[in-house]
Amino acid sequence: MINKLCVLFLGILILTKIHAQDVMETFNGTRILNGHSVETLKKNTLQFRIEHRFGNIAGPSGGVQNFFGFDQAADIRFAFEYGLSDDLMIGFGRSKGTGDPYNSLLDGFVKFRILRQNKAKNRPISLTVYAASTLTYQQATENISMVQSFPEFAHRFAYTSQINIARKFGERVSLAFMPTYVHRNYVNANDINEILALGGAFNVKITKELGIIGEYYHTLYKGIFDVENTLRPNNYNSLSAGLEWMTNGHNFKIVLTNSRGFTESQFIPYTYSNWLNNEFRLGFSITRNFKI
Amino acid sequence: MKIAPKNTLLFVLFLLVGFVTLMGFQSKQKDSKYRSVDIGEFPVETILIQLGDSSLNHSMSGFDSEKASLGEDLIRYGRTKKAGKYSKRISKYFVCTDCHNLKREFNSLSSESSSERLTYAKNNGIPFLPGSTLSGVYNRTKFYNDDYIKKYGPLVENSRDTLANAIQLCAKYCASGRYLEEWELEAFMHYFKKNELKIKDLDLSENNLKNIQRYSLLKEDEKSKLIELIKSSYRQSYAAHFLKPIDTGKRLYGEGGDVENGKLIYRKSCLHCHGGRRVTYLNLDESQLTARMFWNNITNYTDKSLYQIVRYGTYAKTGRKQYMPLYTKEKMSDEQLNDLVAYIKKTAEK
Repeated sequence: MINKLCVLFLGILILTKIHAQDVMETFNGTRILNGHSVETLKKNTLQFRIEHRFGNIAGPSGGVQNFFGFDQAADIRFAFEYGLSDDLMIGFGRSKGTGDPYNSLLDGFVKFRILRQNKAKNRPISLTVYAASTLTYQQATENISMVQSFPEFAHRFAYTSQINIARKFGERVSLAFMPTYVHRNYVNANDINEILALGGAFNVKITKELGIIGEYYHTLYKGIFDVENTLRPNNYNSLSAGLEWMTNGHNFKIVLTNSRGFTESQFIPYTYSNWLNNEFRLGFSITRNFKI
Repeated sequence: MKIAPKNTLLFVLFLLVGFVTLMGFQSKQKDSKYRSVDIGEFPVETILIQLGDSSLNHSMSGFDSEKASLGEDLIRYGRTKKAGKYSKRISKYFVCTDCHNLKREFNSLSSESSSERLTYAKNNGIPFLPGSTLSGVYNRTKFYNDDYIKKYGPLVENSRDTLANAIQLCAKYCASGRYLEEWELEAFMHYFKKNELKIKDLDLSENNLKNIQRYSLLKEDEKSKLIELIKSSYRQSYAAHFLKPIDTGKRLYGEGGDVENGKLIYRKSCLHCHGGRRVTYLNLDESQLTARMFWNNITNYTDKSLYQIVRYGTYAKTGRKQYMPLYTKEKMSDEQLNDLVAYIKKTAEK
């Protein structure tokens, strides 16, 4: 499966026409929708992010009774992120947590650009690597059958590593491929610690300022061959669609997604909603850049 | 053979004189490229003072190359290394060279025609910017001229005839930064003094150069004529007239505009700051997508209309200190703006 995807992706790379100069704005921001993009912040730029995911629009818990999810907040994240150089950025955030399983999450990450797409330099793709960890400071429960019981402090951590590969085709279309590895130090009895996910995303610019975005993370774990579906039975893959609006210094995104949480170690392993059951929600992210 | 003491003395004296002459000759050859007075290398200010003109307000007798080089750092990068440590940036948002060239901008320094300025920028690979060049700023007597009072109000009053105050106004308000410290201001002044105009920079005829050379023989009225002539061959100040965006009814929307010229302006003006998000968050490139953004907004009364943004710029405000300076009539003519629009139209429709 991974091999096939790699071959397909490389095939696309080789077949397409390549641009001159450094390619800018492959994605309009450091995030695609839930996950990261190849972009990093410019040196000395401090970004303040506000991200929000509401409750289900439809389905059993949605509908007009809670105004299509607006009455509930699935997750909220505030973060400060900073460009140490044009290719290296760090970030620190705090999110409410979805409560399923964690609340009160702190997260930190480092992201480094290795390649920027440039025809003149024979670089067909942009490539960044990304590493993050989350820590929950939620009070441990006494029920030792639950993952939130955290017998050791280390059990509160989860880690993500990602290789983010993207390419801009022409002026309007960008594609991204994000092999992602998530490790959680402590999981439920029917879960596994290590998860590999393959992410894919596109961004189509309708105008310079308005774009449509799609993002999907396909989670690979033993359970895919597990016919009896005993491992991770309620998990779904994260699928999101979004609309993005750019202005000078701002980036505003409206998202429809079946995931609830933020950061890869949340939305990859803990997506329990199914689009087919009308379980998806609205979300948005607003960013504001400051020069420091 | 025994040499008489007197002869020995003469011999030593002879050797000594020969040695000194040789050394003197050698060192003279080494130190000076020139065998005679080169009037072209003389600063314009020095010559004017010799001819009886009054000295400049900010007149300096010379410059210290170390200070001048600190000044150049500050002008190019906004900070410099002092005792192994970086100094505090003057502005987070701009450096001087975002808006000002450091090289001359005209073939003839008496000109301020925007088309000659663009041709010179094209031929010499320099950008086409909203500010006047800092080359020869030492020889100017008026700053923030004409309509700049509309933008900066009473702030310009103290700066109009004093170079040091003009620098401070620029650092604090135009660059959204801070006032310079004493050593920084001194470094700026030494850099400017180093790059003052020399006689060779001016378009003076052979005859006038000869007159300058034998100035002491000139009569008083000849001297004052020569002063006038020298002063008319460079600009003591650059005019600055703000234009309103052309009335919608009178706009040509690129019709009859020179697309190639427009492309040149786009590259040398717009992309100087917006290319690769160098200075600002708004990234511009030569794509159709970008050109369409401009073309679709061309009739709007917002920043996104080229007619508006070129003439009004934007203003620094609390929470958003970065802004775009406006282009005066002298720095971009309405014809050039029409060329730019013609290029945008062509790129949008390609």
